[in-house]
Amino acid sequence: MQKAVAVSTPWFRASFREWILTTDHKKIAILYGVTSLVFFAVAGLMGMVLRLELSQPGIQYVSPDLYNYLITGHGAVLLLWWAIAFWAAFSNFLIPLMIGARDVAFPRLNQFSYWFFFAASVLVLITLIPGQQIKMLWTGYPPFSLHDSAGPTALYVLIVILIAGSTLGTGVNFITTVLRMRARGITLGGMNLLVHGLIASIAVQLLGVPAFVGAVTMLFLDKYIGTGFFNPAMGGDPILYQHLFWFYSHPAVYVMILPAFGVFSEVISTMSRKPIFGRKSMVFALWAIAVLGFFVWAHHMFTSGMPDWLRIFMSYTTVLIGVPTGIKIFNWVATLHKGAIRFHSPMLFTLGGIFMFLIGGLTGIPLALPAFNINVHDSQFIVGHFHYVLGMAVTFGAFSGVYFWYPKITGRMYPEGLGKASFWLMLLGSNIFYFTQMMVGIAGMPRRYADYPAIPEWVTLNGIQTVGAFVLAIGILFSFIAWIRGLKGPQAERNPWDSPSLEWQTASPPPPQNFDRFPVEVPAGWSPYKYGPRS
Amino acid sequence: MQTLPLVSSGVLAWTGSAAPVAFPGQYWNQIFGIWLIVAVVIYLFVALPMVYFLVRYRYQKGINETGAHEEGNTGLEVLWTAIPLIIVIYLATQSFAFYTQQRTPPPDSLPVKVQSMMWAWSFEYPNGKKTTNDLYVPVGKPVELLLSSTDVVHAFHIPEAKTMEDAIPGRVTHMWFQFNKTGEYQAFCREYCGTAHAYMRATIKVVTPEEFEQWLRQPS
Repeated sequence: MQKAVAVSTPWFRASFREWILTTDHKKIAILYGVTSLVFFAVAGLMGMVLRLELSQPGIQYVSPDLYNYLITGHGAVLLLWWAIAFWAAFSNFLIPLMIGARDVAFPRLNQFSYWFFFAASVLVLITLIPGQQIKMLWTGYPPFSLHDSAGPTALYVLIVILIAGSTLGTGVNFITTVLRMRARGITLGGMNLLVHGLIASIAVQLLGVPAFVGAVTMLFLDKYIGTGFFNPAMGGDPILYQHLFWFYSHPAVYVMILPAFGVFSEVISTMSRKPIFGRKSMVFALWAIAVLGFFVWAHHMFTSGMPDWLRIFMSYTTVLIGVPTGIKIFNWVATLHKGAIRFHSPMLFTLGGIFMFLIGGLTGIPLALPAFNINVHDSQFIVGHFHYVLGMAVTFGAFSGVYFWYPKITGRMYPEGLGKASFWLMLLGSNIFYFTQMMVGIAGMPRRYADYPAIPEWVTLNGIQTVGAFVLAIGILFSFIAWIRGLKGPQAERNPWDSPSLEWQTASPPPPQNFDRFPVEVPAGWSPYKYGPRS
Repeated sequence: MQTLPLVSSGVLAWTGSAAPVAFPGQYWNQIFGIWLIVAVVIYLFVALPMVYFLVRYRYQKGINETGAHEEGNTGLEVLWTAIPLIIVIYLATQSFAFYTQQRTPPPDSLPVKVQSMMWAWSFEYPNGKKTTNDLYVPVGKPVELLLSSTDVVHAFHIPEAKTMEDAIPGRVTHMWFQFNKTGEYQAFCREYCGTAHAYMRATIKVVTPEEFEQWLRQPS
């Protein structure tokens, strides 16, 4: 056994050449994380322009066409570059550390995945050039997406295919890693819930992404080769695309939220000094959501002219997802019971995330009911709802994760005051914003409108939303400042949260080979949540 | 300008103190009311214990430094699996019952063919009369719309009737409504269709049956 040489300089001091050529999972994690945060900021600013435009009726700042590009960019980038890709940073950094491995199973494939993702990122920036702007939304529904006014279809298809290549590589890699490279003593059931969340999310991608790629490939053939998959004049059907698209893109929402659930579980247990409540049912619920998620896609199409019996069938399958998500929420609350709760920034973000998810979940149930959906489909209500779940629950989960593992990743401590201020601003701003957005949706306002009639109720509610959006944006800015200033913060300990989880047992930041000695072994009866009085 | 219903009108209608301007809007009001009550109860059931625990079990130096060793409680876990299951199955079944009514046009409905295009609506009546962007309907009479599209997917939403359906090229979809008050109402395109999506509206002109008959007989 060789003792590792302690690495005292953090990863961000590596040379440029090292960054380009690295196959180290921790450096690749940082590459994903930084790319993702940059795009999060860009898409967030796009959202602010949309919000300003909608503060009052009429066209003030952007033309309808530019508006349509901005909603496409805001949606696609926040979903693919933020809510999905940011978790790739977590998978990369934490999975090998949490299971006691030296790296992932296929480090070269991992590098390949990142650079595919990077190539897609460059293509996305090309869409900023006038004339290359994609205006078909992230959904790309035909026949509109085949229309010339929708922008370059080929670019959209290529971006999706590059992202898919990256995703599939990551999928194979991390599933193999978790199945084959766990340290002795760590069973599948005994793994951290975050590892379960990340792997469930990755498994869903591996199974679902091919359907999405198939759909956009058909779109490409229809547009440039003249096939008729989606062209009714040639015997095709535009609804076919919607089925293929949502077959992946609904499960994709669980790709985004399951890792956040993992973070909530890690943080709430550690900060309450208690084992996670109902751990087996937590694992079961996570995987139940992942599996059930594949049987609900058509609830995105309740008004799409599908047969009514299919709408009813999908309504029952969709409401069933409320049961495992309910189990998770109840278990988190029960974890707090008789705890010793410490309110550090990561804990605040986790509690906020659970709160946002609770509201998002409760407003999601009626959307699964066709009798309710028939009036709010494609209204602002939907937009408010998914900003609670995918927007804020995911973002709070991600921010909580960044604060929680910040000392491990950088070897420094973030400024606590800024983190807390950021949390309160984000919680306040997002609730003002998205709750009024749901209200204006109930009042009938459609989504994807660059302009709207001056109905007094709509005007008032839109004005309030803009105020909330600014508070939210300032809150996010505070976190960005906290993370940058934290790089010069006080040296962090190995295990500042006093957690038995494996990643905290090595140096901060971890040495290149992760642990001081291999094979890593855990003591008998080990659990990442072994808190509370020792018997 | 027709004022759209306030958020609270759904609950008002559910308690029976407001009659719907248009059918089948009453079913949406009812499912909205049922959901709102269920949601508020579940919300309180989660949020109140959460806030209580956060205050009661906060870390206090020397007083409360470590949590209890509690790993789960099978009885509770079964309970909070079974009760939500019953609630969601009930909601889906209640929705099923309402939805059948929202989707099934009464037998004496007036059929109107709707053709959508970027960015206008055209309506065709049984006698062949056609209009663009103006939908004339008689008050108190159910109307069935048979929707299709000449280009991309659109959707026809009537805020007062609280119902909508997509208009899809190559297919004929259907929806129904009935206005109980004369006047002018706006219908909105609800499926993204490009540049002028936000301006793709139709005006529903609800007139008395006599006026409607007279209008229908005039050549277009």
